[in-house]
Amino acid sequence: MTKKIFLFLFLIFIFPFYTFAQEFNFNRAFSDYLYNLNLYRQAYQEYIPARESYLRYKTLNSKTTALEKTLKMVQLRDETMRTYLIAIKMKMAEISGISPSEQGLFNLKLDNEANWYLAHKEELSSAGTLEDLIDLAHKAEERYYQETEVLMYQALHKILLGKETTLKEKIISQIEAIRERLKEIKANGDKDVFLPERWLLETENRLLRFEEKIFSSKEAINRIGEPTLKDKAQIYKEAQLNLEEAHQYLKEANRYLKEVIREVKTADGNY
Amino acid sequence: MEIIDQDFEKILPIEEEPKQKILPKKIIFLGGLLLLFLLILILISLNLKQKHSFSDVFPTPTPTPTPTLIEEITNPSFYATDSAILKIEEELKKIEQELDSTDLKESSLNLPVLDWEVKF
Repeated sequence: MTKKIFLFLFLIFIFPFYTFAQEFNFNRAFSDYLYNLNLYRQAYQEYIPARESYLRYKTLNSKTTALEKTLKMVQLRDETMRTYLIAIKMKMAEISGISPSEQGLFNLKLDNEANWYLAHKEELSSAGTLEDLIDLAHKAEERYYQETEVLMYQALHKILLGKETTLKEKIISQIEAIRERLKEIKANGDKDVFLPERWLLETENRLLRFEEKIFSSKEAINRIGEPTLKDKAQIYKEAQLNLEEAHQYLKEANRYLKEVIREVKTADGNY
Repeated sequence: MEIIDQDFEKILPIEEEPKQKILPKKIIFLGGLLLLFLLILILISLNLKQKHSFSDVFPTPTPTPTPTLIEEITNPSFYATDSAILKIEEELKKIEQELDSTDLKESSLNLPVLDWEVKF
């Protein structure tokens, strides 16, 4: 009896840990990122006074402290970037509107970038002096502005675009379902379907406008890779705004479809 | 009124059970139950904490009210109760909810603000 109770308690205790250990999803990746971001912020708060102290007193002691605090801060900066890139990758995996080929391509790029920060973090440990450490830290700065920042904006845009694509596909499938039913109703001859058919065309027009906005958004995000461009955040915002406008067209299209259904449900000449 | 005649003197003394044998079993059982209860409490609190932390991270967007047709259909057609039409109507409602709740900013995923300039 006692053995059974203990076995039962043991299983209850072990089971949640077993399931938690198995599951690595976006939420887990995102908490890893937030945890590292928090650690980075703490390290940064320690780095600032250490740097100021060294710049003011220029003593060997302050230089050693500055080296130590800077190393900790830049290593956590790399770790934050690495975990952020993984979180984005996991988020993309959850979006159904992204094609497998695009998903694969982004996975490859994001993994490559995350690995770069991991290798760089390890390389930082080899810095013997503050000067060496500063040189190595600049490598990450270059990498961020030349490669990572662009990739992150492109990935975020792809996530938002994927969401819109999913919604658009759902609306298209409903348009097709309505069209099929209208054909049957027309064949039955017991309801005039001229108006609903015309409204379906209006709905499709909304989808065309949606596509135009999506196109503008894609054009904007393609410009983000231009090496001369400085304010990438502004371009991303522009692309995001286009997506928001596109979203409004989807809302309109859905509302139109609801009106089509209402018309079908109403007897002729009574709308 | 009938008076129940009870002979209190004849009540047999309750036999004391051998406590020494039962006591350890009872203690183990109660201890086990207590442990189980504590474990469940810990797991629930951990779960709640996790949920709470995520709810802090992801602000759920409040659905924006959209104008809806509230007027009743006074003269329904033959297709007002058609299963295919009702199914489409239901799907459209679901899509509408999705459209209203879609987060097109994903502000929780904004790029981390990090100091890239290490300068001495």
